Amino acid sequence: MTSVQPPAPGRELSNPPSDGISNLRFSNHSDHLLVSSWDKSVRLYDASANALRGEFLHGGPVLDCCFHDDSSGFSASADHTVRRLVFSYNKEDILGRHDAPVRCVEYSYAAGQLITGSWDKTLKCWDPRGASGQDRTLVGTYAQPERVYSLSLVGNRLVVATAGRHVNVYDLRNMSQPEQRRESSLKYQTRCVRCYPNGTGYALSSVEGRVAMEFFDLSEASQAKKYAFKCHRKSEAGRDIVYPVNAIAFHPVYGTFATGGCDGFVNVWDGNNKKRLYQYSKYPTSIAALSFSRDGCLLAVASSYTYEEGDKAHEPDAIYVRSVNEIEVKPKPKVYPNPPA
Amino acid sequence: MLKHHIDQFAHIEITCGLFLDELQKIWDEVGEPEGDRDTVLLEIEQKCLEVYRRKVDAAKHCRAQLQQEIAVSEAELADIRSAMGEQSPHRDRKAGGSLKKELDTIVSQLEDIRKQKIERKNQFAEVLHQIRNISNEFWGDSEGNLYKAILAETDLSVRRLEELRKQLLKLQNQKSNRLKEVSDHLNTLNSLCLVLGMDLRHIAGEIHPSFNDSKGTKDVSNQTIENLAAAVQNLKEVKIQRMQRLQNLASALLEMWHLMDTPTEDQLMFLNITSKIAASEPEITDPNLLSVNLLNNVEAEVSRLEQLKLSKMKELVMKKKVELEQICSQMHIVTEAVNAMEYSVEALESGAVDPMYLLEQIELQIARVKEEALSRKEILEKVEKWLVACQEESWLEEYNRDENRYNGGRGAHLTLKRAEKARALVNKIPAMVEVLTSKTKAWEEQRGNKFLYDGGRLLSMLEQHSILRQEKEQDMQRQKDQKRVHGQRIAEQEALYGSKPSPSKSGKKASGTPREVATNRKFSLGGAMLPNPKPDKSASRLHPSKKGRRTSQIPAYSVKKHSSFAANAPENESLMVRKPLSPVSPLVLSKGNRDNSLEDQKTTRTSSSQKTFPHSESLLGTPSKWIAVCDEENRTPKTMPIPMPTTPSSVSIPMITATTPATQCLSLGAIMLENNDQPIEYSFEEVRVGFILPKTSCH
Repeated sequence: MTSVQPPAPGRELSNPPSDGISNLRFSNHSDHLLVSSWDKSVRLYDASANALRGEFLHGGPVLDCCFHDDSSGFSASADHTVRRLVFSYNKEDILGRHDAPVRCVEYSYAAGQLITGSWDKTLKCWDPRGASGQDRTLVGTYAQPERVYSLSLVGNRLVVATAGRHVNVYDLRNMSQPEQRRESSLKYQTRCVRCYPNGTGYALSSVEGRVAMEFFDLSEASQAKKYAFKCHRKSEAGRDIVYPVNAIAFHPVYGTFATGGCDGFVNVWDGNNKKRLYQYSKYPTSIAALSFSRDGCLLAVASSYTYEEGDKAHEPDAIYVRSVNEIEVKPKPKVYPNPPA
Repeated sequence: MLKHHIDQFAHIEITCGLFLDELQKIWDEVGEPEGDRDTVLLEIEQKCLEVYRRKVDAAKHCRAQLQQEIAVSEAELADIRSAMGEQSPHRDRKAGGSLKKELDTIVSQLEDIRKQKIERKNQFAEVLHQIRNISNEFWGDSEGNLYKAILAETDLSVRRLEELRKQLLKLQNQKSNRLKEVSDHLNTLNSLCLVLGMDLRHIAGEIHPSFNDSKGTKDVSNQTIENLAAAVQNLKEVKIQRMQRLQNLASALLEMWHLMDTPTEDQLMFLNITSKIAASEPEITDPNLLSVNLLNNVEAEVSRLEQLKLSKMKELVMKKKVELEQICSQMHIVTEAVNAMEYSVEALESGAVDPMYLLEQIELQIARVKEEALSRKEILEKVEKWLVACQEESWLEEYNRDENRYNGGRGAHLTLKRAEKARALVNKIPAMVEVLTSKTKAWEEQRGNKFLYDGGRLLSMLEQHSILRQEKEQDMQRQKDQKRVHGQRIAEQEALYGSKPSPSKSGKKASGTPREVATNRKFSLGGAMLPNPKPDKSASRLHPSKKGRRTSQIPAYSVKKHSSFAANAPENESLMVRKPLSPVSPLVLSKGNRDNSLEDQKTTRTSSSQKTFPHSESLLGTPSKWIAVCDEENRTPKTMPIPMPTTPSSVSIPMITATTPATQCLSLGAIMLENNDQPIEYSFEEVRVGFILPKTSCH
């Protein structure tokens, strides 16, 4: 808190949330940024204008949020509710409830449905077009082997990562049964799962400084391509200090991705060539969330302590919006056609 | 007539007498006094005299006038005659008689001579005009005045006329000469222009416009002729210059054709040029042979050929270089010359070095290297043998470590045979090394130079080898001793507590040490070495304090490392191993070692079912399922892992990747079942919210 501010890691948004940031997302249509926070609020920023456009107060900490379109969004709260937020009227209504805090929320443009995952070990699908009231909006409830920790959507595919290192892959058109039941390739708790923009697989990060790159196709040829790599580690005096990888964000244009860890670093990776493309200078505290804007020109970074070491003094929570150079995210072709073993 | 005059006179005298008689009679009759008679008569007499006197004066005047006229005419006549260069004929005044006759002759003479003079003048004028015209042509207007002045009346003699005529003739001759000269010049110019591919009309027109008019007369002035001569000279110089250039190019062409065996079809195009290579300037008359276009064409061809030659030269140099490198690599010589050559190839490309020279250098080098190779041959053969022996030795070591080597499999008899042979060979190694050392030393002494093998000194290689060997032997000795001591201890223990299974592993492990040394050596060439998991594990267990193991920690729990909680994965291997004196507790979770043996896991798993979780916020959790063989995630790195630098960098860095265990599709029920005896893991968010999984949902 008292330490010197690091050299500008991007433009810091004014009026940041007053407590930890749980997630942030850029809109698919504009440079608007939706931010959910532990301070029981969801805020809408105009990232290019650096202006706070709206604020919604909830009954409990907000664990996730997402856009519906530019005029409305959804939030998942620890008070078990799933809410719809209408920005223009600054109005919110409760779409439905889970039996436990709702951890994550995703809106599928393909299915026109909202999907929420909760610690009550269920996944629920909602139809937001229906009138408010649980019985009218709820489409289905699907049991999960464990508490849902992370969700990701691509096309009609839904990847659900839960506690106990389970990974379920669903087809949104047939939610009765997971398409694939998998176990995480990583040995430790899953922090984040994100699908490749090209729809062929997903990246999954764990609390132990590692990211696994996975493929949906179960053929041997496809599975041979999967791998995991270490990141967000520090080697000190012969000991590796390993940090959780909290966030993964894919670049919408190049398919490269950024990871953010509790070490406060944001790294950009080229998954195809297995290269790290760039490392941004260190942020004051853990990276809680990352999001690229729709054209990939901006990267929103939530630098916010994620309580990995319990309640302790920490740097203030901040949102940085940095413009992204092509060189930082453009894949570089391999140097050797066959890298020497 | 005169008679008539006299008659008249007589008549007048008679009339007078008559008149006097008549007057006498009248007077007589009148009676005039005598005195009056005399006065009248005197008066008459005086009047008559007066009339006579007047008549004589007039006649005198007339005569004088005539005489004057004659004199003037005579003078003019003389003037003209002298101007015309004629002798004035002697003239007798008497011939003519009276003055009037004389005047008549003179006037007629004068008229004649005037006519002559006009004729002569015309002749002069004509000649002078011609002279003036020609001289004007020659020198321009300025000097024509000379001849105008001469056309004065003073000298119109025939001689002068002749002179002028001669002059005119001379000038006419001169003019014709000049005309010839000009046409000569023009012809030369024409031929030059033809050869040089220039426009004659343009050049001639520049000198004088009249040259372009084929019908009109040509200008012959000094200036023009000078200009013409200069132009001819100029063009000749150009021609010579171009000729030399052409001949230079032609000789270059010929040389290049010769060098590169250019096919005749290619040569044909430039044959007319190369045929003129020895021609002198006047011999080159073919039209356009020296035109700028043609020269440029030839030059382009030459430069093309030169380019070709350069590339061929480069090729040749490269070929020679490859040959040299091949010889060097065959003979295990590393010469700086090869590297220097690299540099010179670049220089060659930039044109700084003559390829011929470079080629020569390489040839020289090859010869030198070949010579050296001859002298090295004997030693190299020995080195080869030695290396083969060393290889066999290492194979043998590997083989000796194989526990199952005597388990008869297919081809086992062959490996057995090989081992037998290898052993025999290995025994010969010290002798080989000795011979090699002495030979090398002899060689070095003889040549006064170090014997280098692939850049390293062979002697030092040999030395290193023998040192390594010694070390190995010492190791072997030490292991034997250890084994012995160990055996003793077991024997003692057996005596005290009864027998135990012999730790055969440790015995086996010991033999592995030298190999580890070897691998270390190998790895040190690449990136940082990661310890081979399996031997490392057992080694660390045997000698826990010997190796500083890399421990990995999740920072969240680095503080709590020695308290009872670690992040998510309880370390199945108890800390006991590392700290022999600390109390055994299932909750002491060192994050260090993950390469657990199966047995370890089983024991911890069974014990973990009794674990309690005194602090609800602790993120206790094991991965809910252990895969049958718990692979270390880095177990078999396919790529040499290179530790990621901690400093931020924009250079792309290879990821530290590892294969992950095969994806398993599991049945949900099985997981549920297994979940029951697992401690429950919580995410950071759950901890923060204070979310506790209701036990009922599990059971």
